[in-house]
Amino acid sequence: MDIFARAHLSRIAALALASASFLAVTAAEAKEITIWCWDPNFNVAIMKEAGARYTKTHPDVTFNVVDFAKTDVEQKLQTGLASGTADALPDIVLIEDYGAQKYLQSFPGAFAALSGTVDYSGFAPYKVEVMTVDGQVYGMPFDSGVTGLYYRKDYLEQAGFKPEDMQNLTWDRFIEIGQQVEAKTGKKMIGLDPNDAGLVRIIMQSAGQWYFDKEGKANITGNPALKAAVETVGKIMSANIYKPANGWSDWVGTFTSGDVASVVTGVWITGTVKAQPDQAGKWGVAPIPALSIEGATHASNLGGSSWYVLESSAEKAEAIDFLNEIYGKDIDFYQKILQDRGAVGSLLAARSGAAYEAADPFFGGEKVWQNFSDWLAKVPSVNYGIFTNEADLAVTAQLPALTQGTPVDEALKAIDAEVAGHIQ
Amino acid sequence: MRTSPANIASAILTYGFVGLMAFLSVFPFIWMALGATNSSIDIIKGRLAPGEALATNIANFFTLVNVPLVFWNSAKVTIFATVLTLAVSSLAGYGFEIFRSRHRERLYRAMLLTLMIPFAALMIPLFIMVGKMGLINTHIAVVLPTIGSAFIVFYFRQSTKAFPSELRDAAKVDGLKEWQIFLYIYVPVMRSTYAAAFIIVFMTAWNNYLWPLIVLQSNETKTITLVISSLASAYYPDYGVVMVGTILATLPTLAVFFFMQRQFVQGMLGSVK
Repeated sequence: MDIFARAHLSRIAALALASASFLAVTAAEAKEITIWCWDPNFNVAIMKEAGARYTKTHPDVTFNVVDFAKTDVEQKLQTGLASGTADALPDIVLIEDYGAQKYLQSFPGAFAALSGTVDYSGFAPYKVEVMTVDGQVYGMPFDSGVTGLYYRKDYLEQAGFKPEDMQNLTWDRFIEIGQQVEAKTGKKMIGLDPNDAGLVRIIMQSAGQWYFDKEGKANITGNPALKAAVETVGKIMSANIYKPANGWSDWVGTFTSGDVASVVTGVWITGTVKAQPDQAGKWGVAPIPALSIEGATHASNLGGSSWYVLESSAEKAEAIDFLNEIYGKDIDFYQKILQDRGAVGSLLAARSGAAYEAADPFFGGEKVWQNFSDWLAKVPSVNYGIFTNEADLAVTAQLPALTQGTPVDEALKAIDAEVAGHIQ
Repeated sequence: MRTSPANIASAILTYGFVGLMAFLSVFPFIWMALGATNSSIDIIKGRLAPGEALATNIANFFTLVNVPLVFWNSAKVTIFATVLTLAVSSLAGYGFEIFRSRHRERLYRAMLLTLMIPFAALMIPLFIMVGKMGLINTHIAVVLPTIGSAFIVFYFRQSTKAFPSELRDAAKVDGLKEWQIFLYIYVPVMRSTYAAAFIIVFMTAWNNYLWPLIVLQSNETKTITLVISSLASAYYPDYGVVMVGTILATLPTLAVFFFMQRQFVQGMLGSVK
């Protein structure tokens, strides 16, 4: 080998060495709890607050909250669990409630059961149901999507309705009011995205039913709540009291712009409603309308997620203790996250804190958080099953046909066939 | 050219079509640039005029994101991936074309077949391999699987067909070894091919999303694509901030493309000078 080549080789070797050390990243230290979640302004910020509180009393435990997009967390979790590479997983992960059963049932033994440690009787029952498999409870219930009927007092007053008239409505009454509102004010009653089955889910759960029964079997054609929910959304559409929206941002725009008189959705929308200072004092919040069938209530839920500890975690004991100490007991923590982030947790005792008791001037001095807390305890428990997202798609596919007069039973049959295709 | 009515009509049609296509490809960029100057609510409302929120959006982006670190990570991964891919794949392309052997074509076809396997199918086995090597959450793990690029090997082999074999013969007569021929004759002659491949590999590496997402586990190692994805998926994304991030993320590829545009076109045309 000539000198020229040798010089080159050593240079290449040096470069390779340099790049190896350059690219390497030091491994995590012991007693550091790694957490994956999404949304820097919500879950990430809240988890950092929780971590800071725990570190105060346990200085040896530190937290590393990593934020990824929600679909990215799911993708990474799926890959990590499927590959069986334990060191690729975090200690705690956030999972959306609708998807929880899918992970718990697909990867048995992957998540730590917290039944003996956490006192679940203090949480909203429907949140606990979401994370229960074969009597074992996994996970720490986190934010709730307890629903409310947000309505514009000014528009309804013009149409001749007082806040008392908005309490304990039925959906048929809601539609009647909507027709009055449109006749008197020219405003539509509600914004609706025909490609989002959120409202169907809200109405169905309010009557204690879901796409799946307690055993996880499809519950579509013989489901009175689903039938009534689909009928109700169909009636809202054919009464033409809705403003159509295309996608989430557009839907948010229907009420931030003042084009509609009401919003029926999860409590997490409160921050967005309040982000319009010129609408201060014009909004009220009532319980959502109820169906007129057996088991109907005025409480339901949309969205929400919970924390899960990985069984393979090296810091499993610390992670469980952390969740139990902060999310399971710290009332003050729940006041802080409600104030700073608008987050409504599922720990029922949180309602006794100052932030929950405060009256909100934006809603004309109503104690909205106390109300939401009341409704939270009443949300009927259902089994979200494994295929909620697939069932949702099947429902949205049938919504247009309903407005054109297709009988509801026929639409339900089509939905059932579609869902059955996924389950096999 | 005579200006018959038929010619005019075809010119109108051509320019109309080209104009429409140009609009379709440029519009997202205009929208991105305008979006960066507007508040999130205005963007949702579909405002299409310059706003006054640019400074706020930039400030928010810089508070939410550790910009130097994220760009450093992206740059590191991209530069290593680009240099190594070009080095390895051009050697392979050169080898495939210059050296004859009985199994050459069979091997080559097998390699091209790998182009048909979607990455999603390779992801989990690859992840297990990287995990066994102890490379999870390192930038090496991001770079490693991209180096042997079947497409770039293919591209170099096709271009090497235009490399005059007389040059190689002459170099051999002058006593150059094979690696010297490659380094001192082939590489300079194939400059424009390298430039075009550079742009392709650079853009792919810079925009790479799925694989870095799977192997990178901490805030300290994340690349710009992951950071923007996380910003955009908040319950209430601040679209103004997302737009600022997207513009910043587009700048390096834009710069590379503009600087190397001439060589890129030449490389694509397959010219050897």
